[in-house]
Amino acid sequence: MLIVYAVPSPISSVRIGGFGEADYYASQPIPNVSPGLLVRVFLINGSSVKPVNAFIDVYANAPSGIVHVAMGYSSTLIVPFNSTNWLYALGKWASLGIPFSGYNTSMLVFITYMHGNESWIVPLLIPYNVGWVYRALGKSTPLTATLSAATPRYIVVNAYINVNELRPSRVVPVRLNGTVTDPQVFGTYNGYTVYNCSLSGPQPPNIYTSYVFQPTSTCLGFNGSLPIAWVTWSNGVIQSDQGLQFELNIYFSGTINWDAMSTDYGDLGTSYSANENWILSSPTYTIGSQITQPGSVYWYYENATWAIVNYEVYEVWYVDAPIMYYVGITTVSEVLYVPPNDAYGNAYDYGNGPISMFYNGSITLSEQYFGYPALNASTVFDYAAFEYTPYGEELWECNGPVNTYTGTYYTITLGGVNTAYSLSAAEIGTELGGLAFDIAVDLATEGKATPLIEFLSNVGSAIFDIAGLLIPPSTSTTVTSTYLEFFNVNTGTKLYISVINASAVYGLPTLGFILNATNYYGGPASVTCKYNQWVQIG
Amino acid sequence: MASPMNVKSLFWFYFGFVFVNFASSLWLLLSSVLTVMPMPLPYWLLYTPGNIATAGIIVTALMLALYAYLGVALVLNKLNRGFIPITMVIAFTIGIALLLVRQAIPALAILVIAYVILIGTYAVLISVTTSRASKALWGVATIILALIPPILIGGGLTVINYIRYMALVEQATAIMASAVEAWRLGVEQ
Repeated sequence: MLIVYAVPSPISSVRIGGFGEADYYASQPIPNVSPGLLVRVFLINGSSVKPVNAFIDVYANAPSGIVHVAMGYSSTLIVPFNSTNWLYALGKWASLGIPFSGYNTSMLVFITYMHGNESWIVPLLIPYNVGWVYRALGKSTPLTATLSAATPRYIVVNAYINVNELRPSRVVPVRLNGTVTDPQVFGTYNGYTVYNCSLSGPQPPNIYTSYVFQPTSTCLGFNGSLPIAWVTWSNGVIQSDQGLQFELNIYFSGTINWDAMSTDYGDLGTSYSANENWILSSPTYTIGSQITQPGSVYWYYENATWAIVNYEVYEVWYVDAPIMYYVGITTVSEVLYVPPNDAYGNAYDYGNGPISMFYNGSITLSEQYFGYPALNASTVFDYAAFEYTPYGEELWECNGPVNTYTGTYYTITLGGVNTAYSLSAAEIGTELGGLAFDIAVDLATEGKATPLIEFLSNVGSAIFDIAGLLIPPSTSTTVTSTYLEFFNVNTGTKLYISVINASAVYGLPTLGFILNATNYYGGPASVTCKYNQWVQIG
Repeated sequence: MASPMNVKSLFWFYFGFVFVNFASSLWLLLSSVLTVMPMPLPYWLLYTPGNIATAGIIVTALMLALYAYLGVALVLNKLNRGFIPITMVIAFTIGIALLLVRQAIPALAILVIAYVILIGTYAVLISVTTSRASKALWGVATIILALIPPILIGGGLTVINYIRYMALVEQATAIMASAVEAWRLGVEQ
């Protein structure tokens, strides 16, 4: 009995991209093991999975920036919750005065593995709740009161360096360079405060071995309103579709996950999540009266902090004089903070708002940091059109996003919202062990399928750990929709609607509708339908 | 009681039962504690959901093989009750196969039947014991096995911790019963 109680049991588990896994263990205190974050690095080469030494570098995300917490060259790195640097970041969260149950933040971990003159730098985001740390350290404050009873005491991260799948970079000798210059872009632009978000907390101790890894991170912070959904129209629409009306409606309620992104590795895991309640219809916009020039209308949430972290590693050998090697670089885009149940609103953007800034390329932000314009890297996942044909005005649809209500009232629903916004509560407890785990998932989702679980109890209580993992979290999301409604569609309306997912570039969950009068966005030679056909629905 | 002929064959069932359960429990205990400790570990020693599920599958396969061996050994010794474990193994195999092809409802029905036959298999084990101690221990294990489903159905996932304790006690008594039998069959005779 005592053993069952004292043995750590996993209470949740998340998969981080294709290169990591975070497991959260609840337990009684174990003597000589401090509660905290434990990072393990495994090298995957073919079918072999082995612990391997790597340079492990850990940062804590705070509401306004990142704090360097710990680093080391090893196959495991422990970062206790009571590490000075981590406590510094936790203090920043606590000073917000928001109950800890309202949001989750994360640790940003970089794993640098070198073999010969090849190197791999893998970034991972490890979500956690500030209240867990407070509980584990025995600190109770009014902010911890609303947390659920079971809180993890140990966070174990398994990072996988898959040398067969991840592309290496070259390790090259470089001249010793002096200090790294911060980007000269700080200031205020389009309502955004752009600032240096490397928080000057206590610095972690350097590690001295025969050689030294020297990490350099630059953090570019953005504070302001971030877009959540938008409509952009062209000059052609204004000329061709006078009198056409539309509304942009959003319905987001529940936990929203902001996933961090990297150009090299895609989705890196959730950097921040909070409960939000953004439900409203926009005013009705009429082309020709309210709208007379090309631009956008967008929904936004306020007081958000978003960061672009550039992470570089150098290796320095001290023989007679220091010899420096450039190991590699990676760039992470992550949301640090959005107040829970934050204020939101909608506004126009005629070239000086966030839609222009982030997506339409009036400033070259995305090109500068990511090497390409944001929209080029985004995917159009739905098309719909109003086209005049000899048989009269007809509405054609692809992928089924269109609902017709009356003769002149159409709704274009944004498809794929669950995926794009990472809203699914099923994220916890899926894809954990391939086939074997699927069986357990199947069983647990059936709810009543206990016999096999009982039979598997020959592995003692382990299988019940799995069963416990599969109990869905209590704060699951009411899933959401975003849709564009059209009124006054009549003979002569010429409108091509492209529905775009622009989330992949910055990690800001952003989806948009692009309206054109002559062709779809990007002028695709052919538009592929999911069902391989266009359907006439109006 | 059991005829002298099957004594040696049943010894290997009991030996396997103790060995598989002991090894899996040892893995469970070691891995769960070591995973949170800052020391390098081979991947198979990590207490992760994927590894737990893999261990469960391996142990299930080994246990099914042992029960199949038990059934065959009994039948070969003209004890027709050996068909009970054989039927159970077949039922579990079909149930798991149905799960793999995602036929959840038929799989569930067959697994419930298999579970009932598992209790029957424990009754068979009681009937072939050679000592009162192991008979009593198998008896306790059988009662716990029979009590788990009604408790789980009645209490749902809120009682999962009690079910865990029950499963552990059940496992411990079954291991002890098998150890007593293996000792008597292997050492005393």
